[in-house]
Amino acid sequence: MGLRNFFDRIEPLFVKGGKYEKLFPVYEMVESFLYTPKTVTTAAPHARSYIDMKRIMTYVVIATIPCILVGLYNIGFQANHAIATYGASGWRAWIIEALGIGFNPANPFANFVHGLLYFLPIYITTLVAGGICEVVFATVRGHEVNEGFLVTSMLYALILPPSAPLWQVALGIVFGVVIGKEVFGGTGKNFLNPALTGRAFLYFAYPAQMSGDTIWTPVDGFSGATALSVSASDGYAQLAAQGMTWMDSFLGIIQGSIGETSTLACLIGLAFLLVTKIANWRLVVGCLAGMIAFSTLLNLIGSDTNPMFAMPWYWHLVVGGYAFGLAFMVTEPVSASHTNMGRYIYGALIGFMVVMIRVINPAFPEGMMLAILFGNVFAPLIDYFVVQANIKRRAKRNA
Amino acid sequence: MPEDTGQTEKTRNKGFVRRFLDLPADSVPKTVFVAVSLCLVASMIVSAAAVTLRPLQAVNALKDKQINILQVAGRYEPGTNVAEAFKVFEPRVLELATGEFTDAFDPATFDDLAAASDPETSIALENDPASIGRQSKFVTVYLLRKDDGSLDKVILPLHGYGLWSTLYGFISLEANGNDIYGLQFYQHAETPGLGAEVDNPRWKALWNGKKLADDSGNLLITVAKTAPPEGPEYHVDALAGATLTSVGVDNLVRFWMGEAGYAPFLAKLQAGEI
Amino acid sequence: MAQTRRQMLVDPLVDNNPITLQVLGICSALAVTSSLQVSFVMAIAVTLVTGFSSMFISMLRNHIPGSIRIIVQMVIIASLVIIVDQVLKAYAFEISKTLSVFVGLIITNCIVMGRAEAFAMKNPPVASFIDGVGNGLGYGLILMLVGFIRELFGAGSLFGFNILQTVNNGGWYVPNGMLLLPPSAFFIIGLLIWAFRTWKPEQVEEPEYKIQVVDAH
Repeated sequence: MGLRNFFDRIEPLFVKGGKYEKLFPVYEMVESFLYTPKTVTTAAPHARSYIDMKRIMTYVVIATIPCILVGLYNIGFQANHAIATYGASGWRAWIIEALGIGFNPANPFANFVHGLLYFLPIYITTLVAGGICEVVFATVRGHEVNEGFLVTSMLYALILPPSAPLWQVALGIVFGVVIGKEVFGGTGKNFLNPALTGRAFLYFAYPAQMSGDTIWTPVDGFSGATALSVSASDGYAQLAAQGMTWMDSFLGIIQGSIGETSTLACLIGLAFLLVTKIANWRLVVGCLAGMIAFSTLLNLIGSDTNPMFAMPWYWHLVVGGYAFGLAFMVTEPVSASHTNMGRYIYGALIGFMVVMIRVINPAFPEGMMLAILFGNVFAPLIDYFVVQANIKRRAKRNA
Repeated sequence: MPEDTGQTEKTRNKGFVRRFLDLPADSVPKTVFVAVSLCLVASMIVSAAAVTLRPLQAVNALKDKQINILQVAGRYEPGTNVAEAFKVFEPRVLELATGEFTDAFDPATFDDLAAASDPETSIALENDPASIGRQSKFVTVYLLRKDDGSLDKVILPLHGYGLWSTLYGFISLEANGNDIYGLQFYQHAETPGLGAEVDNPRWKALWNGKKLADDSGNLLITVAKTAPPEGPEYHVDALAGATLTSVGVDNLVRFWMGEAGYAPFLAKLQAGEI
Repeated sequence: MAQTRRQMLVDPLVDNNPITLQVLGICSALAVTSSLQVSFVMAIAVTLVTGFSSMFISMLRNHIPGSIRIIVQMVIIASLVIIVDQVLKAYAFEISKTLSVFVGLIITNCIVMGRAEAFAMKNPPVASFIDGVGNGLGYGLILMLVGFIRELFGAGSLFGFNILQTVNNGGWYVPNGMLLLPPSAFFIIGLLIWAFRTWKPEQVEEPEYKIQVVDAH
């Protein structure tokens, strides 16, 4: 255990009074990333659980693996597919040619490599830019850098379009980390989901690079609408006419953000989180129920002018970011409601809002991001009313 | 200033006012006195300001409209005397249905928007792609003549709904009634950076030289992402990232240039009857 | 008097700023700051209205009955605002078009009412005038700061002059569209408050409750 000894040896340099005491959070970050922390809680209440924050965060990252894999394949596939018509250019093409892999969309390996060349720069930029913010805040505020950021950065990178300019990626994560989390006191005190805060910032700040038909497949000249934007502008019946099937959408071989195209991969991740009890099933039930109920209601009402009214719930499930948001964002424990009753309401509110925004708001086809942020803001209020109702009921019972 | 006017009152009617001022501030008569006199003084000052400044304001509102018309006709340079430059335009009131000018209204005072909400001079639209609700039967158009008196350009007002707001603007056409010279909106509340790019000079420049209809009179002009098969001269590129504003502009231009709009007038222009 | 006139004028700029410390007048700060020119006019308008309304209210303060004092203040403020609005329409039409309803809404700006009620009702006219102008300037300072950031990064220009050539005009700068939307002023004002309180820690409020700290064994 040479490494352990090394950490023990340098630790005095970083603790209070040591030479580098200001850099303690950095030391702590590296040390606790590699080893279980040896400190214990000192103040009551003492709740014992095998699931500590580190494990929660690691599990969430594990749960995103299916999404990452499908995402990498899909970006590469879409790009290779488009390159067949529009030709390849740029440094990625140069690398691929240098490696001799080629651009054959039928070759899964070539697709993976191509996808990786898009995903890695975005992910690394996210880690570096967001990581610097985290460390700066941890150092100034004297709290610890924790694994929460690994989750935030992974989720953030997965909900970006593959063509996102890297400087915008950096700006977005900085905004997400600082405004979404650090100003409220860091992990555990953030009432907004930092990854979504960063994404929403980019969505409103640079709509030309974050929405439209040309951004989902990063090949010059190619234009492909997402299933959601097709159904918003031409009607959901048009999906079939454009050759988009439900199965494609479910498996995720469609236009869309890096990690959120595949509903199947998201559901696998969600199942993992539910089994390990990281995700609370009440949130998932609430969110599904809200979405299904409201979209069915709109189906029944119908509309002559707005074709989105006719979109059935099983399509809502597979288009846009619904499945990804359901699996990784709605279930995020910090920004969700904390009472059991509140979790149903919180989930249902998001499910309702996502359909509401997708169908009735003309300006924003994708509602999941905004719906979740909306839910985040309401979560404390929901909890408050649930707790008050509980107090009243008990007061009545014991009166 | 309330104090000054109070003073003049005092000199005229000293004993009476003094008696009120000497009362304790919270007594009922004093309260009534303060309320009444304050209202009188304030209303006098406000109406005085409104009355004295009204002529200037009317000039400004008119100038603003004239600048827009000059701009859309390509006759505006910053610093030009607007009223002087505007004299080259000949305002006429047009009856849309017949495409004939009418002298029933004075073009200098006729208000299109007021006419659109008056049941006497407007119709409620059944087929309403521009989402304007009621359309005036009469509009003020502006004719621009060359030095020899022949028609150079016509400037036609149009409006319609975008994403968040109604866009009000002018389109200027060449004398043949088919070639577009320019399009300009003077009032809207579209998203800054996206829909509000209708004000971007680069986008406005796209309209110059486009054609409304083909030789057999089919209205083809469109604002879209891709050019229609009939050719690029009927196509203006949609605004990037502002699908619904673009659709709105497309609808309103096609509506006003169509049968319910200026089509009868344009037909007369093309026939050289004006 | 506790404060010198100089203090009355300078204090509201940073130490007792109506926006960043008292958190008043936020609505108009969100609405009008997308361009520097409009912010500037709004700042002047509010400064004038606050200064003169405070002065007139202070002149009348011994005669204003307590039961209708708010209405009296409102009438005075409203009259001044209408005059400002009329003058703008007559002499600065372009700007009054952009400011549209917000000039009228100066009436509801909490800063004006706040200074009238908190200061002018208890102090002589000249002091009230200076206090009103000081607060108006404090408001204006923040307005200009926010307007500067929003116009420079949101549209690439300052006072309408191009500073950063935007992509749509053939330049390199990709403007940040969110800064042109009103909510961005929330973030900017929040960050300004943060900056002010880091600079002057005495502005930080006491926390409402403290997390229990137990020394390690």
